[in-house]
Amino acid sequence: MTISWLQASILGIFASLSSMPGMAGSTIGNYTLGRPLVGGLVCGLILGDLKMGIAAGVAMQLVYIALVTPGGTVSADVRAVSYIGIPLAMVAIHSQGLAATSANAADLAKSMGTLVGTVGTVLFYGTATMNLVWQHMGWRAVERGEFRKLYAVDWGYPWISHLIFSFIPTVLMTHFGSSAVQALKTALPMDGIPMKTLFTVGALLPCVGIAILLKQIVDGPVDFIPFFVGFTFAASLKLNLVSVTVVSLIFAMISYKLDMAINTNRQAAPANTGGTVDDEEDEDI
Amino acid sequence: MENTGKKISRKTLNKSFHHWFYGHLTAFSQEHMQTFGYLTSMLPIVEELYDNKEDQEKAMKTYTAFFNTEPQLGSIIVGITASLEEARANDGHVDDATINGLRAGLMGPIAGIGDSLVVGTLIPVILGIALGMSDGGSPLGAIFYIIVWNLLGYFGMRFAYFKGYELGDKAVGILVGAQGKAIRKAIATVGGMVVGGVAATWVTVKTSFTLRNGSGKAYLVLQDKLDSVYPGLLTAAFIVLCWWLMAKKNISPIKVMLILVVVALIGVLTGFFNPGLKY
Repeated sequence: MTISWLQASILGIFASLSSMPGMAGSTIGNYTLGRPLVGGLVCGLILGDLKMGIAAGVAMQLVYIALVTPGGTVSADVRAVSYIGIPLAMVAIHSQGLAATSANAADLAKSMGTLVGTVGTVLFYGTATMNLVWQHMGWRAVERGEFRKLYAVDWGYPWISHLIFSFIPTVLMTHFGSSAVQALKTALPMDGIPMKTLFTVGALLPCVGIAILLKQIVDGPVDFIPFFVGFTFAASLKLNLVSVTVVSLIFAMISYKLDMAINTNRQAAPANTGGTVDDEEDEDI
Repeated sequence: MENTGKKISRKTLNKSFHHWFYGHLTAFSQEHMQTFGYLTSMLPIVEELYDNKEDQEKAMKTYTAFFNTEPQLGSIIVGITASLEEARANDGHVDDATINGLRAGLMGPIAGIGDSLVVGTLIPVILGIALGMSDGGSPLGAIFYIIVWNLLGYFGMRFAYFKGYELGDKAVGILVGAQGKAIRKAIATVGGMVVGGVAATWVTVKTSFTLRNGSGKAYLVLQDKLDSVYPGLLTAAFIVLCWWLMAKKNISPIKVMLILVVVALIGVLTGFFNPGLKY
C-alpha cells in the first residue's frame, strides 16, 4: 500500500481542518473530524480500504477517548493521530500482511497513534505560536478601527499556520510513510526501551486529562466520592457509560432538590439573617 | 433619547452566533485563546447597534480582553453580552466594566461545567456507543457519531446562545446565584460519576510486575492482587496522583506529563510496566 501525492494532500487538508484550533471550528473540526473514529472513516475512504481504516480508527480512539484539552493544554494532537497516525498504521498493517480487524493490527495501530500523537503536540504548539503573528495584525486593525479585518485574522490567516504546521507535515509524512514506517521499525524496535516507554506514557497520559477534569469539580476528598462511585459502577459492576449516566441522574436530582430546599428554608428565615446568607452565597463567584 | 428602542435583528443574532460557532478557536494562540473569535461574533451586533464609528470603536474595545472558556456551553456568555450590548446602546447604564466583569466571572464556572459535561461526559458517552457499533470495521459507528454529536453540538450551542440573549444579565443570576450553584453541583455530580465511568472503562494502567519461583511459575502477579483489592486500583491511583500534583502541588499539566515520562521509563526499566507489543 502506498500513499500518492494526491491522497497525501487530501489527508493534509483534513489535518488542517481538525485539531483544537482547526480550520473547521471546534465542533466540526476538533470534536468530529479530529476524533480517530471519524479519522478512520475518512482515511479508509481516501486510501480505499474502509474496513482497515475504521479498525485502525477504533483502536486509536480507545487510547484517546478520554483525551481532554482544557485551557489549551494538549497531551496528544488529534490531527497527527487521525491523519498521520492512522494512514501510517494502515500502511504498516498492510505491509505486515495482518488482518484488518486482528488484535495485532489494533496493537500496531495503537503504538503508531501514540507515537505520532505525542510527537504531534509540536504541531499544536507550532500552530498556536504562529497564530500570534495574525493576532498581532488583528490588534493593529483594532487600534485603527478597521474591524472588518478581524474576519481575515480569525478565519483567513490561520490557514497559513495550518499550511506550515498541518498540511506540509501531513503530506510529507504520509507520502513517504511506507519507507518511514520501515525506518521507524528498524530504529525503534517494539520490544526496545524507547517504544515500551512511549507506549506506557501513552497509557498514562489519559490520566492527566481525567485529572484536569477532576481539578475543576474536585476541591477536597469528599468531592471524589461521585468519581469513585462512577468508577466502581464501571470497573466492578461492569455497567456501561450510558447506564452510569442514567444512575448518576438520580443523584443529581437529589442533590438539586436538596440544595433548593435548603435555599427556600433560608429565604423563609427572618429578614435580618437573609442579608448574611446572600453574602455567603456570593463568595463562590 | 434618539437611541431608545434599538433591538438587534434576528438576522444579526444568527450571524453573530454562526461567527462564534465557527470561529471561536480558529485564531487560537496561548496568549489570546478565544478573544478573536469573540471579537468577530460581536462585530455584526456592534455594527448594527451603533451608526457612528466612534461608538463602534468604543464598544469593540470592550471585547479585546482575554477570553477563554469551554466553547460549546460558552455560547451562552456570547448571548448574554449580545443582550448587554443592546442594553448599553439603549440607555448607557451598562459599561465596559460591567460587561467584562461578567465575562471574567462566567468564564471559569462555564469552563468547569462545560469541560466535565461536554468533553468529559457527553462526548465519551456518544463515542462509547459509536465504538461498539464500529467494532469489526463497520462505518456505522463513525457515521452515528458524526450525526449525533453535530446535531447536539450545533443545536445545543444555538440554544445556549439564544437563551443567554433572551435572559441577559438575568442569566448571570441563574448561572452563579443560589439556583445556579445548585444546578452546577448537580451537574458536577453527573460529571464526576461519568468521568469515573469513563476512566474505569477507557483508561487502563496495568503493571506487569510478577514474581516467579525457581521453576518459572508465577506466584505473585501484582496486577491480579491489586484488582482483587479494588478493580482498577492502579488506574485510579494514577489519576488521583495526577490530580494531587496539579491541584495540591500546583504543578502544570505539561510538567505532570514529563513526570509521567520519567515514571514510565523507570517502570519499563524495572519491569513494572510492559505494554507487551510487537510489530
